[in-house]
Amino acid sequence: MREATGDSAAGPAPAGPEIVVSNLVKDYPRVRAVDGVSFAVAGREIFGLLGPNGAGKTTTIRLLLTLIRPTAGQIRVAGIDALARPAAIRQISGYVPQDVSVDGELTGFENILMYSKLYGLPRASRRTAIAEILDLLELSDRAGDLVRTYSGGMMRRLEIAQALVNRPRLLFLDEPSIGLDPGAKRVIWDLIRTLRSELGTIVFINTHDMNEADALCDRIGILNKGRLVTVGSPAELKATVGGDVLSLDSPAPDFAGHLRALGHAPMAGAGNGPHGPAGHAEILVTEGERLIPPLLEALRGRGVEVEAVSLKKPTLDDVFLKYTGTRIEAGDSWKEARRTRRTFRRMVR
Amino acid sequence: MSPARYLRSALTLAEFELRKIRHDSSQVWLRLVQPALWLIIFGTVFSQVRGIASGPFTYRQFMTPGILAQSVMFVAIFYGITVVWERDLGLLNKLLSTPVPRSAIVLGKAISAGVRGIFQAVAILGIALIIRVPLRLSVWSVLGVFAIIVLFGMCFASLSMSLAPIFRTRERMMGIGQAITMPLFFASNAIYPISMMPGWLRAIAVVNPLSYVVDAMRALLVTGDFGSLGTDVLALLLATTAMIVLASLSFRKILS
Repeated sequence: MREATGDSAAGPAPAGPEIVVSNLVKDYPRVRAVDGVSFAVAGREIFGLLGPNGAGKTTTIRLLLTLIRPTAGQIRVAGIDALARPAAIRQISGYVPQDVSVDGELTGFENILMYSKLYGLPRASRRTAIAEILDLLELSDRAGDLVRTYSGGMMRRLEIAQALVNRPRLLFLDEPSIGLDPGAKRVIWDLIRTLRSELGTIVFINTHDMNEADALCDRIGILNKGRLVTVGSPAELKATVGGDVLSLDSPAPDFAGHLRALGHAPMAGAGNGPHGPAGHAEILVTEGERLIPPLLEALRGRGVEVEAVSLKKPTLDDVFLKYTGTRIEAGDSWKEARRTRRTFRRMVR
Repeated sequence: MSPARYLRSALTLAEFELRKIRHDSSQVWLRLVQPALWLIIFGTVFSQVRGIASGPFTYRQFMTPGILAQSVMFVAIFYGITVVWERDLGLLNKLLSTPVPRSAIVLGKAISAGVRGIFQAVAILGIALIIRVPLRLSVWSVLGVFAIIVLFGMCFASLSMSLAPIFRTRERMMGIGQAITMPLFFASNAIYPISMMPGWLRAIAVVNPLSYVVDAMRALLVTGDFGSLGTDVLALLLATTAMIVLASLSFRKILS
């Protein structure tokens, strides 16, 4: 354990990936929560697991943090074998669980102080370290107040502060922006990016929010029913769905014929527009935003007026649909978590 | 983990438990209502019943250590509920993600229960003084009582925590708490001497840790007869150690 403390923050990063998971399996009495998952996370990246509620994301993060033991498979975090030396991994990791992890009956400062002691921070540097973290998270002015008086966004920031107290080499966040309003969500995203760029923290997040995965992650693994279906950067993943969809409406007769003549065959089954099925066309293109001006120009040259144009970029939801045959059912887990949070605040008040 | 850091981690958990009491002491006061009722109402009425063999001492003197032990037991037995509550909230999940070993977490929570017991003791001794129950209060007797209370609180908090991973919900733990504490209370020498019990109940009272705790505190606070104090402390130490080990083993399953 002590040797791990020594080389955690300051030491040079080892060659090779930071997290290596191979053939990971976790069985529960009635269900296989994680089913043969393998992936690697390189240094200095924000890696996300994207999947619906119950896909096995939280189980995976708990396995990585050595909170539970796998049924089969191997995990190495920062070169440490999770089964052999779990405490060493916990010492260099920070964890922001999906549920509440700060105590409402203590002040913000005390919540962090407690964890600084549990991680064995030396007494001499404790106060400075805590002050720095509170400052980074912009919580200094409320640090002396009981946490039950905090807003949801502040509680989340405090939870992140608490997870940073040991200067973790790896930070694990389970649904970091769940239940937060859009403003607070952006603050958390910016913060996570700052941690990666300024402290060099490796960030591992779980999310069911495809916008969050898209905005935040360098690479994403899509998890469905305990299986990892694909891994890649958001751009790579979206490219696998085919490209952008451009839909156009025009009153011109034989609109489809004109498009075909320009080399853009409309897709079948595009549906109806204000000028009937014949006046509505959808074409599959790459870099749609750059194509629109020359395409409209060319159509005008042929005497075809276009009334409306819209561009639909593929989303990670489309990627999810392609690989799993279903859409991510957003909503359930989100509402649930927010309810827990509210209940908590009400009960400790 | 080095033994020093192990112990420091456990004490840290107890420290922040105390800080919570400092922020909101209302529960300490609320938990005094019941023992106060026992001492003031039950004690007053039963003083009139001359049938309880309290020896050369008044019935109130006789029962004060019993009520003290009972109140510590009630505080401690509900630690399992706290653990389930913290698991439901997610606090426990977070705590288990630190390098602190499971058994140090159990030990820390047990110490917290013991320290809370001291608050109970101070307040109950205060009530006893107000209603003029003559007690042998010296620095040594009070420190002795505190030491026994800390051990006893740790013992029952550990018992409760060892049950938490089995019964899993707050409601069940609440029921279990009552199902354990009331029988143990009545099958002990807390409010009547063991000599008055029928044989079968006496057999239970003899293996009941509460009897030893009450006996020890009665020696320190009332009789001054330390003949069985050694046995009492030894029995309590054994029970406490066994419970902490049991709770540490059981605690591994708390998240699954």
